[in-house]
Amino acid sequence: MATPAANAAPSVSPSLSLPPSQFARLQPHAYLLAHLSPPPASNQPSIRANGRAPSQFRVTSANAGSLTHTNGSAVVRIGDTTAVCGVRAEILHTDDIASWSVSSSSTSNSNKRRRLGEKTTDEDEGQDENEEDRAHIEDLNLLVPNLSLSTGCAPGFTPGAPPSALAQSLSHQILSLLHSTRLIRADDLRIWYQPPNLGSEALERHNESQQMEIDAGQGSEESDPQEIKAFWVLYIDVMIISLAGNPFDAAWAAVLAALRDTKLPKAWWDIDNETIICSDDISEASRLSLRGLPVASSFCVFEADAAAGWRAVVIPDVNDQKAQNQRKKGPQQKWILADPDGYEEGLSQERATLVVDKAKNGKNVILKMEKHGGWSVDTEDLRQLVEISGQRWDEMKRILDQC
Amino acid sequence: MVEPTASLSTLNRADGSASYKCPATGYDVLGSVNAPIELPARRDALKPEDATIEVFVKPGNTTAGVGERYVEGILRSVLTEVVLGRERGYPRRGVVITLAIVGGGSVERGDSYLTVLPALLHTSLLALLSASVPLAMTFSSALLGVTKSGDIVRDPSAADAKAASSLHVLAFSSKGHLLLNESEGCFDFDTWELIRERAVSICRGAAVSGTGEDVAMGERSNDARLDGFVRETVEDRLHVDYAWKIESN
Amino acid sequence: MSTPLILLPGDEVPSDYLPPTKSNPLKLGPGLRLLSQPTASSKSSNHVLTATQAGLLATDAKRNTVSLQSFSNRRYIPTTNDLVIAQIHHSSVDYFHCMVTPHTAHAMLGQLSFEGATKKTRPMLKQGDLVYARVLSVGVGAGAEVELTCVNPATGKAEPGGLGPLVGGMVFDVSTGMAARLLRASSPSAEKSDTVDGLVVLAELGKKLESLGGFEIAVGRNGKIWVDCSNAGESAVKVTVAIGQCLQSTDERNLDAADQKKLVTKILRGMKLA
Repeated sequence: MATPAANAAPSVSPSLSLPPSQFARLQPHAYLLAHLSPPPASNQPSIRANGRAPSQFRVTSANAGSLTHTNGSAVVRIGDTTAVCGVRAEILHTDDIASWSVSSSSTSNSNKRRRLGEKTTDEDEGQDENEEDRAHIEDLNLLVPNLSLSTGCAPGFTPGAPPSALAQSLSHQILSLLHSTRLIRADDLRIWYQPPNLGSEALERHNESQQMEIDAGQGSEESDPQEIKAFWVLYIDVMIISLAGNPFDAAWAAVLAALRDTKLPKAWWDIDNETIICSDDISEASRLSLRGLPVASSFCVFEADAAAGWRAVVIPDVNDQKAQNQRKKGPQQKWILADPDGYEEGLSQERATLVVDKAKNGKNVILKMEKHGGWSVDTEDLRQLVEISGQRWDEMKRILDQC
Repeated sequence: MVEPTASLSTLNRADGSASYKCPATGYDVLGSVNAPIELPARRDALKPEDATIEVFVKPGNTTAGVGERYVEGILRSVLTEVVLGRERGYPRRGVVITLAIVGGGSVERGDSYLTVLPALLHTSLLALLSASVPLAMTFSSALLGVTKSGDIVRDPSAADAKAASSLHVLAFSSKGHLLLNESEGCFDFDTWELIRERAVSICRGAAVSGTGEDVAMGERSNDARLDGFVRETVEDRLHVDYAWKIESN
Repeated sequence: MSTPLILLPGDEVPSDYLPPTKSNPLKLGPGLRLLSQPTASSKSSNHVLTATQAGLLATDAKRNTVSLQSFSNRRYIPTTNDLVIAQIHHSSVDYFHCMVTPHTAHAMLGQLSFEGATKKTRPMLKQGDLVYARVLSVGVGAGAEVELTCVNPATGKAEPGGLGPLVGGMVFDVSTGMAARLLRASSPSAEKSDTVDGLVVLAELGKKLESLGGFEIAVGRNGKIWVDCSNAGESAVKVTVAIGQCLQSTDERNLDAADQKKLVTKILRGMKLA
């Protein structure tokens, strides 16, 4: 094969070397391997083709409130992967819920409302409250995430095609993570009706902020059967406008940042008009109080042996393999690459995704841990990945707090 | 613990099929495999040197949605590692696996798909075996839940799974490799290591885990192991098919 | 012979099950592959036989082969030199397009691939006609065409005998495992014992139906059996159906030798043939 250099200067004897960009395209595996395992004599550190260390994430930036017509929005950019997320809140009347029964809402709720004043504390939430949170959010589908991989985000996406399997699968992952982390409290999404109390004092309060109303509820919870009249439904739309590997981390970070940015207007049931009324005063709008800050980090495993699938060798037993690896200090066989870009994703089968949060004492709490597509990652690697994800959590917290 | 039941080659027209029923979780899955087949519509997308694996999951009472897409992706990535797609006759062709969830609770939108995953994995493995698709190894998979009080329960029912503080699905190859781990909920790494140990003893028996003496007696007997269960199912079917041969010897 | 050994994918074939080493190399049948075990210490690697399918290990010490017999109802995948019964789907200028297995691409059978066929004397086969043919080649990769022939290209003869159009008679479907068994039972090397692979049904039928003029049978590896007994006169249809029933029941119910004899007696009596 002739190189461009050879074409340009035919008089020179044709060179057999290729410029790096062509080498990367022709022999992607060898190219990445050459970067990761430099000759021992050269004393160079093992580095990825994109210049990062194996456990280094791409430069991440986040910007909240980018879209003005939404209740909350964010743009998160991880390297060349960019996700935009917008949260739109709509009102769902309980009258429109077929399975809704008034008794179920008002009685069970009255006893727990007293807590709402101090709702920022995480640990002392009652079991039943958690259960009901789950029931309301999951059974009524109050969270509706949707992810689209827009045309042009990567060369493979053509206009007019139905949502790809990847987009559907990411939508599901976001929804199931929203549910399993219980990130959003159902209380933030409930719209109440506080019947006017006998005293004039309560009547006055009725028109004040919901927060006040809740405080008042503390004293008179027995006498006033408050009633849920409606819910906020959050439509969480994520659009990947540029895809260069690792869409899940970017999409989840965008969802998280957008939800942190989301403000819901104060809303209450107006008995006279028999409708929900929202306040247009921004100062009365309240932010969602999220539970924790789950941060996703994805990894892929790059195997040194490109032809492993071709070679007919015995797959060693897992215990033999461990012993073998301890015995011989041969060249490294696999690298776990954090936050893979598109090029690296194409070269690896095995994936791992972790979602971690940190407890108050700084301990890592795993909220989701998945790995599939290979058999090389096991306990020790995963333990390491949890550590790396913990560091990533600190980084992401800083970024999200700043935005 | 009620053991799962399975039978091979239950469908006549498919190249291979299996039905699998797990009494503990209540799921009943019917799977069929057609391989190798031509996938003419996507010839340009086919890998030139490997078989393309397609997985379709059909829920019992609704149409497939985003959750099914997700679980199909997981199944595909696990099975791609197991199927020898480079054996003769397989490159550029397709291995199509269709799994129908026939019985058991339906998985609602946004629900965790982990409770069905082991049943789907076992069904697809048995159907692949039934279709004589070349495989590098077999595997077995376990579903474990951690209750609020910190107990590890095997095969929690749908209601228990919802109440559990974390859910885990692990799959181990017949050589002991961790092929798949799917964990969700709230847990720490020490808990996961306990889960892993327990899953190894369920899937591969206590002897393999190294610390054999500590594991509960209930799962030490050979027939309770899930890889033993897969083997027995296959052996039963082969004994039926080759009754003339085995008995005459 | 030792007890039957059932292997699952990834299982190693124990070396004591293999035929004793001779000068000629061991031949591997389907379902097995040779893997090398890399050893850390030396460059020489030892080899291990592992199964890639679930099946019963079958060894043949005489021919020095080892193979894995899988489930009997698996789909037929054309392999060179297999005998198959194909049905003509349509014909083009040079080829008959034949169906070997349902829902797969058509196999090609040359218009002149018959014994003694020339441009003028070639058989004029219509849609639906049956041929007994040998798989000549299976091609490579996706979209590869399977080519059939009814003649040995080297000799110009229909070898083995009987290749060519199948006229009259009827086709029955059996499992591919059963078809392979029938072919093994009728192969010349098997003639020494009449209970090869536990199959006595054909011998039994032959004995009982001799008085009616006997019958002709062709077995295709693709799970098809063609039966004809045009010599039986007016009971020809009854005999054909009886033979088909005997073979299919033997297959479906996995009958052993004694039951096969009982079945033959029962079916023939039911048809008032014996």
